[in-house]
Amino acid sequence: MAGASAQKTTGAGVVSAPGTVPAITLEGEGYSGAARLFAPLTLQVPAGRWTGLLGASGVGKSTLLRVIAGLETGVRFVGHVRASDGLPLTGRVALMAQSDLLVPWRDILGNVTLGATLRGTRPDRDRAMALLESVGLTDHARKRPHMLSGGQRQRVALARTLMEDRPVILLDEPFSALDARMRAQMQELAGELLAGRTVLLVTHEPAEAARLSHAAWLMSAQGLEALDLPDTPPVRDLEDTDFLTAQAALFRRLRARDPGVGFAGGEGA
Amino acid sequence: MNAPTLNPSADPARSPADSAELSLAASDDTPARGRDFTLALRIGLPLVLFAIVIWGWETYVRIAGVPHYVLPAPSRIMATMIADWPLLFGSLLQTLKTTFLGLALAIIGGVGLAVLLSLSRAIEYSLYPYAVVLQVTPVVAIAPLLLIYMPQETAVLTCAWIVAFFPILSNTTLGLQSVDRNLLELFDLYGSARPKWAPRWLGTFIARVKALYYLRGPAALPYFLGGLKIAGGLALIGAVVAEIAAGSAGAGSGLAYRIIESQFRLNIPRLFAALVLLSLTGVIIFLAMSAFSHMLLRRWHESAISQDK
Repeated sequence: MAGASAQKTTGAGVVSAPGTVPAITLEGEGYSGAARLFAPLTLQVPAGRWTGLLGASGVGKSTLLRVIAGLETGVRFVGHVRASDGLPLTGRVALMAQSDLLVPWRDILGNVTLGATLRGTRPDRDRAMALLESVGLTDHARKRPHMLSGGQRQRVALARTLMEDRPVILLDEPFSALDARMRAQMQELAGELLAGRTVLLVTHEPAEAARLSHAAWLMSAQGLEALDLPDTPPVRDLEDTDFLTAQAALFRRLRARDPGVGFAGGEGA
Repeated sequence: MNAPTLNPSADPARSPADSAELSLAASDDTPARGRDFTLALRIGLPLVLFAIVIWGWETYVRIAGVPHYVLPAPSRIMATMIADWPLLFGSLLQTLKTTFLGLALAIIGGVGLAVLLSLSRAIEYSLYPYAVVLQVTPVVAIAPLLLIYMPQETAVLTCAWIVAFFPILSNTTLGLQSVDRNLLELFDLYGSARPKWAPRWLGTFIARVKALYYLRGPAALPYFLGGLKIAGGLALIGAVVAEIAAGSAGAGSGLAYRIIESQFRLNIPRLFAALVLLSLTGVIIFLAMSAFSHMLLRRWHESAISQDK
């Protein structure tokens, strides 16, 4: 991973530290129709840290994330979301999802600067180019998304997320569409570039939560349970024994929680 | 050739792309010749078939001695085309004028209405059913009425407009609704900050207009162009139907009118000549629309990109 560490210096230079980074507290319960989807729970997302949220498909992980983002959910959520500084979260949240959501008719640079264009402000091209450099795509700035591979497109999405420079980052299974090597690489890149922000990572992949989170929670219909993670700071090394043990333990707990339907068929949610 | 990637050797997603580019670079010899050959076949084979049919037709008419007022030989049709060219050309221009004017109005009306529908639910609910009624009613049935209430030229134009209007409206509406929901949410997250001076409803409206311009509009473009391809042909049909309905009553001079007139006068070679011109017009309209759509989409849309390969 020599390339990744070489990028570290460039990355740190471009990614300015966001202003005040709030912690987030979410309290509430979710209903799907009249049936309760999950019991009252409290999710703490500490400031400037990565919080992992694990769980089987359909348990409502993404709902929590969407509630924080202020987006519509298919689930009725009864409760509230608070930022530690008491200010509304509107305009302070960036979202990165499983699909890269690039706009096919704009070139890569245009996609990175999409937010500025939408707000009608002048896009900061130099910063966008610097961010593209930090994800290793300088030469692709003028290409259209269809000319890039899936991993490259996801890196563009990461650059766009960073371009918005928001203190709160919500990641909804951001790397699950990538192959194993690409995913490992993206995890390292994201862990490095998003350091210092409040990050909520929703995933059904125990390894991802174990590798990237400071703290991780397992979500089920009964609520949240804390998960054990190694003491080492993320991003954890792929061959680190503590990490591997933690990952195995997480996997075991997930399966114990959902016998039968668990992960055998629940992969593609 | 690529950027300093994080870890070029360990980037598996790049190798397929690289090999694809390699094969493209190497393709200027043998595969190119293969492509040329395919292209030659695709143009040559229909032409050969055309020549055979024309030759068969000509021979049959000569050997069987078919009178020209029943079935004229291709050579005679050609001769009539040349002899009657001033008359036919005038009619051609008339038909073309109607068709393109009708199409232009259909684009303005169809796209305009689709945009209105996408901006307001109330408008969508109240207007869309009538657009459908307008479409499912066969225009041939409306044409005589139009001819009563309007001057003939306007009636013909209206007819062309009505038929061409609906595919553009329905396709554009579909396109405007077909934006990825997640993309719209991303838009809300990053772009919908309403100006401080604006009241809530105005903020919502501005956000909708912005979404229309930056997301829905471009996303609808391929759908609109698909509708345009259909509408181009339909506008011609509409014009022809109206001219035929006007028929002997009118003082029209379009190609369809020439066909009716030639039929009454048993001038069958001229009827054929007018028919040939009409069908050529249809082909040209189709090709023009296809080229237009390719030009607009070739940079990014799947349909145009795959054609390029």
